[in-house]
Amino acid sequence: MSKDMKFLVVDDFSTMRRIIKNLLHDLGYPNVEEADDGKTALPMLQAGNFDFLITDWNMPGMPGLDLIKAVRADGKLAKMPVLMLTAEAKREQIIEAAQAGVNGYVIKPFTAETLKEKLDKILGPGK
Amino acid sequence: MSSFQILRLEYSACVEALNEALRTEDEKAFFAAVDHIVHMREPGMFGELRKLTGDLQKALERFSIESKLADFAENEIPDARARLNHVISMTDEAAHHTLDLVEQSGPVADRMAKSAASLIDMVNAYRAQSTGVQGFEGVARSIDAYVPVARAVEAFLPAARADSELIRRNLSEVLLAQGYQDLTGQIIRSVMKLVEELEAALTDLSRISGDVGEHVSMGESHGHGPAVPGVTKGEVASGQTDVDALLSGLGM
Repeated sequence: MSKDMKFLVVDDFSTMRRIIKNLLHDLGYPNVEEADDGKTALPMLQAGNFDFLITDWNMPGMPGLDLIKAVRADGKLAKMPVLMLTAEAKREQIIEAAQAGVNGYVIKPFTAETLKEKLDKILGPGK
Repeated sequence: MSSFQILRLEYSACVEALNEALRTEDEKAFFAAVDHIVHMREPGMFGELRKLTGDLQKALERFSIESKLADFAENEIPDARARLNHVISMTDEAAHHTLDLVEQSGPVADRMAKSAASLIDMVNAYRAQSTGVQGFEGVARSIDAYVPVARAVEAFLPAARADSELIRRNLSEVLLAQGYQDLTGQIIRSVMKLVEELEAALTDLSRISGDVGEHVSMGESHGHGPAVPGVTKGEVASGQTDVDALLSGLGM
């Protein structure tokens, strides 16, 4: 995977979107776009040639879990790597997210190292 | 004339008609008198029944609203208090962490600026000194004079690099510390929702009539927000290590 890959960061809090965007920049991924919930994100994903989705869970409108289910159900997007970055920490929720098809799950508050580690794991060696 | 006296007049006429019908064994007149008495009594009886039903309905509504309010008082309000306390401690922690990093970075930046300023002075002094230097002796003196400048530059560069890296690291930490806004915002929103529900219940209680507002609950897929110690029920991952262990158990 190249450093030119295009990320979509979905979170209803603009501060959190800024944090994630900055961290991605620091990790060498400058191509980042933002959406504030699943309803806004889904048409962007369908239209925008994104390579990676990072989404929160708890959002008004369409929550992250529903977004992931919609992504997995969409033939064009089904294979897209998805990282869930959320404050939801209940055991059954983590299992539910795994069943919905997330590739990684990071709970807030998180560190830059955790984000890097999960991205590296999802994107595989040599990216 | 009192209302009872009026009633007595009305009913005594009927009773007399009833007696007369019995005396003369007039069955038709007897039932007509009985029907008349029943007819006279009906409006009052139905009025009483309506009032009783209304009172019962109000009592049931009041009971439903009061048990809702009791639940707010016993569970939701203490939960909200714990949530808001958690918000205070999170904002407090984030503010102190940010201040610590700023306080740590300030002197480092100052030190770097001072070292750079003294280096600039040294370079300027060297330039002034070496202007107009001629001949071998002059060049030799110029080299001698350059040695301390070179040493100072040599010492400054790695220090400047280490200091810049430290400041950059601290800036990243400051950036991450701002995540509290998202987490506390979610908690405050959930408390605001509770306040709205409480307001609706109190409004209903003051009105007592009309429909009791339906409790609108968002689906599970909307999530619960950040885990609040002592409030969140069920099994909660205590950190990223827990999440990773759980997911690797699921084969991820």
